[in-house]
Amino acid sequence: MSVIADFVDLLGRDAVLDSGLDLKLYGRDAGIMRGQVTVVVLPETTSEVSSIVQIAERHGLPIVARGAGTGLAAGAVPARGGVVVSTMRMNQIEDVDLDNRTAWVGPGVINLDLSRHTGPHGLHFAPDPSSQQSCTIGGNVANNSGGPHCLAEGTTVNHVLGLEVVLEGGEVLVVGGVAPDPIGLDLRGILVGSEGTLGIVTKVLVRLVQNPPAVRTILAAFPTVEQAAATVSGIIAAGVVPAALEMMDQAMTVAVENWLHAGLPTDAAAILLAEVTGSSEAVDVEAKIVLEISQEHGAISARLAADEAERAILWKGRKSAFGAVAQSAPDYYLHDTVVPRTRLVEAMSEVYRIGEHYGIKMMNVFHAGDGNLHPLMAFDASEPGMLERVHSAADELVEVCVRLGGALSGEHGIGLEKRDLMPLMFTAHDLDAQARIKEAFDARDIFNPDKILPTGSRCFDFGRTIPEGAWV
Amino acid sequence: MGVNPKPVEIGELEKSAPELTVGLPPAPHTFAPGTIDEVGEIMRAASADRHSVMFWGGGTHQGIGHPLEAEVLLSSAGMRSLISWEPDDLTVVVEAGMPVGELETLLASRGQTAGLPELVGAATVGGVVSTGLSGYRRARYGPTRDRMLEVILVTGDGRIVRGGGRVVKNVTGYDLPRLATGSMGSMGFIASVCLKLWPLPESSVTVPVPDARRASLVAYRPLAVLETDEGSNVYLQGPSRDLEVAAKALGEDPRPGLLWPHPLDAGSVFSLRVPPARITDAIKRLPPGRFIAQHLVGDIWFSPLEPDVVALAGVRTWAEGIGGALITIRAPAGLGFDPWGTPPPGVALQRRLMAAFDPRRVCNPGRMPGMN
Repeated sequence: MSVIADFVDLLGRDAVLDSGLDLKLYGRDAGIMRGQVTVVVLPETTSEVSSIVQIAERHGLPIVARGAGTGLAAGAVPARGGVVVSTMRMNQIEDVDLDNRTAWVGPGVINLDLSRHTGPHGLHFAPDPSSQQSCTIGGNVANNSGGPHCLAEGTTVNHVLGLEVVLEGGEVLVVGGVAPDPIGLDLRGILVGSEGTLGIVTKVLVRLVQNPPAVRTILAAFPTVEQAAATVSGIIAAGVVPAALEMMDQAMTVAVENWLHAGLPTDAAAILLAEVTGSSEAVDVEAKIVLEISQEHGAISARLAADEAERAILWKGRKSAFGAVAQSAPDYYLHDTVVPRTRLVEAMSEVYRIGEHYGIKMMNVFHAGDGNLHPLMAFDASEPGMLERVHSAADELVEVCVRLGGALSGEHGIGLEKRDLMPLMFTAHDLDAQARIKEAFDARDIFNPDKILPTGSRCFDFGRTIPEGAWV
Repeated sequence: MGVNPKPVEIGELEKSAPELTVGLPPAPHTFAPGTIDEVGEIMRAASADRHSVMFWGGGTHQGIGHPLEAEVLLSSAGMRSLISWEPDDLTVVVEAGMPVGELETLLASRGQTAGLPELVGAATVGGVVSTGLSGYRRARYGPTRDRMLEVILVTGDGRIVRGGGRVVKNVTGYDLPRLATGSMGSMGFIASVCLKLWPLPESSVTVPVPDARRASLVAYRPLAVLETDEGSNVYLQGPSRDLEVAAKALGEDPRPGLLWPHPLDAGSVFSLRVPPARITDAIKRLPPGRFIAQHLVGDIWFSPLEPDVVALAGVRTWAEGIGGALITIRAPAGLGFDPWGTPPPGVALQRRLMAAFDPRRVCNPGRMPGMN
């Protein structure tokens, strides 16, 4: 039987997509890379996923798991064709355990739906990527997603206590659980952020955190990016780790304000959006510190959001900023790199320098508190040579950040986008060790092949060496 | 990089300074190397001749896991330096042999903490990471695994491998730092780690409470809620004005500072791990003796007056039945109680992962559950 007939037999016709349009749609994510797809399947249960893996293996086809496709690093873009497994129908929120503050959820549950579901119980799922209205928990697990509020709360890996995963051969394994410190190697830790290259996560045990009793949101505007960045360092140095600490530069603020009319200070070179959470006493103390430090660093204005309505509109501006870019240019490329927080000023001046050098408009809205940059390059792809310039600028940005002691990606993942930049950060031995991890899980290389690690990473068999650089 | 030279015999490697190996248990070959390259040389030699290697930090938690009689004892005592500390980045990089207490004292001098276990005597950073132990403050700051930003390992066959990075947010390759946490030396020698830090809040108080479970549900994100055989306390940190109000809500007079319970120092200590909501139930099942139970976490360390294997096995069966575990932290030799209990699922996969780092199985062999 053909692979499609096998899948129709297993799942029914409506759960198998193979039309030309579907194959095109599922061959891409929210980034700019494209891949080929053989067939798309939409399972509803773990046992279906297990059978899908067996069928794909029998037909010699690679498997790419996919959530909502909001990723930007081509993690869900098939590099070698094959079967795309969409988890969107595995969207059950099961077993909300209020006593232990945990829940088992399907990988296709939308991030924001989970927090809305548990909200009436005073609990939420802390990771809040800007795409949280559409991205899935499974995708968050694959990319160890963050979001503005991971500054104090940590990223997805801090909020995943257990996983059910389908491995090679269709084996189903449950790792972790509600009890602390499961014995043996921490397989949860290695599965989170593995971008679907080790198996397919079919259920996630998430930790839910208490909604804070009080929140204060602060908006501060600065005459220079440097002063805003110095304020970020000053706040941390003063012993305050805000729940969120975001920066938006003038180009981005103008774009957002044109669309949102939230009263953002468009005359400022940079604005900071800070949020402190806790008891009402604690937030008043911390908000005062944030306001004082902003003023010490020459803020043009610094004030508290007046009420919940204003807070909501400020966050709407932050989280929808990328949508507002459409007015600036027809295409955009959103980058994701990290530097140590103390190198923010240098990193930002390099961002603008690189933009000028390549003639690309750089707009910035990012997680300043943890040094996670998101330069957005606005451009017109129909301009000849533009895409090449964008790629060169993107690579140079990564090189600069690594030189400043940073990392390739803070929360978007490596995927295909940054795979070949991995040697900037890791030695041949480091990459070989990573390739051995992949091999331990997936010796036949069926799960999302060609992602994360550059070709030839696995080159250091015991007792045998290959000249350094041979794999690049 | 050239072709690796043929490893030398382990006995030919230069001995370490004797003062670094004082107090270590006897072993045919004992080393306390001062550099990561020396560790690499030792591991290559050991691996080539399949000599088993036992890693040694402060020696405070060597009772965890299956006991080991290794041919090579590799101590981290010669590698205890601070490599870098960026207070404004809230990150620190230290060598594995740095004692936890020394690191925390240093960090406190600039109002910071790594949130590592409290009152652990000579325990080292490498030992705490390797055993995966966390401090009482994990209820607020998360477990040690959440502190791990970067790890540099020397693998069983002497490769130097780095994973993670020195930034607080990172998804660049597989999360080796977390995999190494709690790996009990099965992946190699942890040479150095980069840890995420937290600022120490302005004030701390200890609030005695009559009902720990109730208090743990009332308090908003306390630092810790501990119940012991002597009573229960809620530990709070924050701006002093906030603490006054929070303590009042709990209904007791706060005492200044963090008054942690005296560590369990008897010859038998076990860790009972259960879903946090089952902790009161778990405490009822403990044999007579001292205990320290962490509400909101679900970990109870206890010292039975008389370690009775049958009674312990009964508690273990109950704990495993609700998704928990009962493990040995230390026990008298010959107690005859399996240190881990039922091995976790996926033992074959775990074995393959260990082999990726230690192809000849020389690193603390057999120490992990299901590996002996």
